[in-house]
Amino acid sequence: MNRLQATRVVVAHAGEGAIIASLGYPAYDLFAAGDRPRNFYTWGSMGLASSLGLGLALARPDVRVFVLDGDGSLLMNLGSLATVGLLRPANLVLVVMDNEQYATTGGQQTPTALGANLDAVARAMRIDCTSTVRTEQDLAAALQPQQGPVVVVAKVGESAPTMKPPNDCVFLKQRFMRALTGE
Amino acid sequence: MTAWARGVCAGVHAAGCRDVVYVPDNPLSHVLHHFETQYRDVRLLLATREEEAFGIAAGLYLGGRKPAVLLQSSGLGNSLNAITSLLVPYEIPVLMVVSMRGDEGEWNTAQMPMGRAVRDILNAIGVAHATVESSDAAADVVERAGIAAFETHVSHVCLLPKRLTGSPTPVGPKSDRGPTPVRPHSDSSFDSSSDSSSDSGSGSA
Repeated sequence: MNRLQATRVVVAHAGEGAIIASLGYPAYDLFAAGDRPRNFYTWGSMGLASSLGLGLALARPDVRVFVLDGDGSLLMNLGSLATVGLLRPANLVLVVMDNEQYATTGGQQTPTALGANLDAVARAMRIDCTSTVRTEQDLAAALQPQQGPVVVVAKVGESAPTMKPPNDCVFLKQRFMRALTGE
Repeated sequence: MTAWARGVCAGVHAAGCRDVVYVPDNPLSHVLHHFETQYRDVRLLLATREEEAFGIAAGLYLGGRKPAVLLQSSGLGNSLNAITSLLVPYEIPVLMVVSMRGDEGEWNTAQMPMGRAVRDILNAIGVAHATVESSDAAADVVERAGIAAFETHVSHVCLLPKRLTGSPTPVGPKSDRGPTPVRPHSDSSFDSSSDSSSDSGSGSA
């Protein structure tokens, strides 16, 4: 399973849910897998995708919130798992695209390449529903539980992105907020 | 109860904020305590780091809320990438209440460089700021900053200088025990009275 294939599985399961993508390749793959108004693409703030998802999940308990994070990005904000474990929003699904490298910046190894285990970190932070998956079938199954928070570490291979979302940040924000309010 | 803290809470509430994300600090403990006891409709959300607090606040805003973030000025340094690459370019407004370190009355050398730089940094990154000069003005300054933030989509900071907040004894669930002094070995000249002004927060841990 490569990252684009995994992203397609998440999009297929998102329904009316919101999807927030970490900057770089996770955002590019989300755009390629299926652009939709309820996608929010970050262009900076590395590490904060899970925090954005947490805030949105708290603001809108009626919306299922999916986050497409990277292993490098989550490692930049590991405290976020403690806060998710503290607040436990039932509607938050954090998918970590773990390719064991900083792919966007040239493929330098991350600590997960040497065994650092983000699934175990999430469990240690009081997030009960966690898993590590390697196939599209297992990923689809891991996205099913409705009672979150859910953390899924998807071990993925690289998929060279061929397109990028628009770089107009205000447009992306307004489109996303309008889609969520139905205006 | 400290009057300035009452005013800050009133201003944050009047600006429409019902979600307050925070990293604790000694003076801010009074604001948090007042929110906890007097504002049942305000949700207090603890973050592990200031940068994370801004991510959570931005998510709250995307979901239709008006978020406030409470932090110590030292935590501004931890937050610059969140502010400059998320809040500013996406025009996501947050009302920030920043308890100052490194201004007049500071005792901790390590707090001085950031304290001196705070206003210049905010000017450089395009974040508006106002200083709360008195307890009487607190509610009005904070409310106006919040209204401007959410109407114009530009984050605003309300600075709380030490001359306003003093060095109050923190309040909170553990405050009756007071801060735990950490004494250096074999140093009889250690002055434990300075502990009363040792704030928590990212810059002073």
